[in-house]
Amino acid sequence: MPRTIFILAASLLTIACAQQQPVINDEMMRLDGPMPSNFGGSWERDYTRGDDFNAAVRDAYYGLHRNPTNGQVSNDQRTRYGSAAVSKRQWNAVYAIARLADVITRPQVLTISQTEYEISIAREDDYAIFCAFYNGVAKNTESGFGAEMCGWDGEQLVSHVAMPDGLQITHRFTVSRDGKNLRVVTTVRSKTAPMPFTLSRFYTRFSAPTSDFNCVETLSMKRVCSTGSLEL
Amino acid sequence: MRIAAGLRLGLPLALVFMSAIFVAAESAVAQDGSDEAAAGMSRDYSRLDVSVAVFDPGVPEDISVHRDLDVFPRIRKIEALFLPFVLRDTLVRTDEWGAVRVVPEPDVSAELLVTGRIVSSDGNMLELHVLAADASGRVWLDKPFIGIVTDDYADTDDGAAAEVTLSYQKLYDDISTELLAVRDVLGAQDLERISEISLLRYAYKLAPAAFQGFVTDLPEGGVRIDRLPAKNDPMLGRIALVRSTEWVITDAIDTKFRELRAEIATVYNAWRKFRRKSVQYAQEDARRARDTRSVGEPGSYKAITNSYDNYKYHRVTEQEQDRLAVAFINEAGPTIEFIESRVAELEAWVELKYIEWRRILEELFEVETGG
Repeated sequence: MPRTIFILAASLLTIACAQQQPVINDEMMRLDGPMPSNFGGSWERDYTRGDDFNAAVRDAYYGLHRNPTNGQVSNDQRTRYGSAAVSKRQWNAVYAIARLADVITRPQVLTISQTEYEISIAREDDYAIFCAFYNGVAKNTESGFGAEMCGWDGEQLVSHVAMPDGLQITHRFTVSRDGKNLRVVTTVRSKTAPMPFTLSRFYTRFSAPTSDFNCVETLSMKRVCSTGSLEL
Repeated sequence: MRIAAGLRLGLPLALVFMSAIFVAAESAVAQDGSDEAAAGMSRDYSRLDVSVAVFDPGVPEDISVHRDLDVFPRIRKIEALFLPFVLRDTLVRTDEWGAVRVVPEPDVSAELLVTGRIVSSDGNMLELHVLAADASGRVWLDKPFIGIVTDDYADTDDGAAAEVTLSYQKLYDDISTELLAVRDVLGAQDLERISEISLLRYAYKLAPAAFQGFVTDLPEGGVRIDRLPAKNDPMLGRIALVRSTEWVITDAIDTKFRELRAEIATVYNAWRKFRRKSVQYAQEDARRARDTRSVGEPGSYKAITNSYDNYKYHRVTEQEQDRLAVAFINEAGPTIEFIESRVAELEAWVELKYIEWRRILEELFEVETGG
């Protein structure tokens, strides 16, 4: 029951924060036929492209002062924070989500495995973003820690997670036509921040070095490697 | 005319073949020492033969719910092969039963057939739904059994195989106790009749024409026993010999399964230990989330990173468990595949022999009844 209430609340919050538009709607969660894009492979961060964190924070600061409500502040928040003027608390909340966005977009390498039904995006020092489509419908995961969903927006893969305290993180993955570049746009929202914060990161496909060894993970022997075929 | 000529040639061959079966059956009985009736010894009918079928892994067809139910299909399949042996060993230790065998498929003609479905298994807890029914169709048990690993058992580290047997031993002891309780309320005549019906059902499966008047197929499945053949019916005697031969093969399959159990015991225990750790980590994640609910001012960096970290650790724990499941499959997979192919060979041999046995028995029946 509490889980249901949480999911319901998270969904409602998603809808509210996205100006009546859910980040991922039912249509995006349906997949008829093959996946629209192939992300499979190893990707390394391209530091020459993408947003500069300090510049993005500066933009957010001026943006917030130009339009303190940013169209996303509830009446309740306006009352709580006083007038339309930007309070220190509002800015601190925006800066907090900006710092979080910076932390979670730091991985230098993304290792993506993709099958007919599943995509797993492994990131350093973080959990792997996982998206599975069984029977043509994206499979959501939910627990007391958060609700995660994914879907396709055209050729973009969208992953969205909503946490019980109103924190929401959305990643949009787009691969270039030639398949060599990957763009990841990460947006962090919080019910305490009057505006979301977004950072773009770019990655370039690279071939992970191949090993002369065939290795598999085992339980009792840990990682077992061989130069020939493995017989456990 | 051609049939008669065929029989003139075929009957001596059949008799030679049946003699070979008899020798094989005697050898099997000598090895096992439990199928007393086939060995011509007076039988203690309270010591029914028990067939424990390989369990139903209980894996839902809808793969989208596997994660929610914490089900790893290939590991469940291994457990379904593995766990019946613990029950088998428990029943054997009571010294209250005849031959106790693990069989690849449920056989309704078994004197007592025990089937099980794994409802859940997470390293800390095992839930099995057990259905036990005798050859007459009487249901002995149809209920779930739940085993919890106690700390004493979990910390036992005397050896891999020992721990597997001990972990949920109470669950298997409970099943054994309840089976014995049902058996003990049955009279000697009931038990003898179960044994007779068992042989008759087997006979009907093998030579339906010869036993048509004794058994009726029911539209809803199963059979109704209309009458029993005479105890000295020669056809029934031959069927008993064939059955004893089949037991030789079943025992060979049982041996293969035992080899499997011995080979994967270590890695299965390692999996269970890791699984248990995963459950503990998940509990720690939940505790951490609960304890840090009010960390930092709402909206502060401290508060939102705490929220994110709680989610992150939860997902990392889940994904670590997935990784370990793959590691287990990597290690146990080749052994499982080898044993499965060997069992399939033995089963195929039995199937071929069934065709041959059926043909010979039908021919003998025609000769004896003048058909």
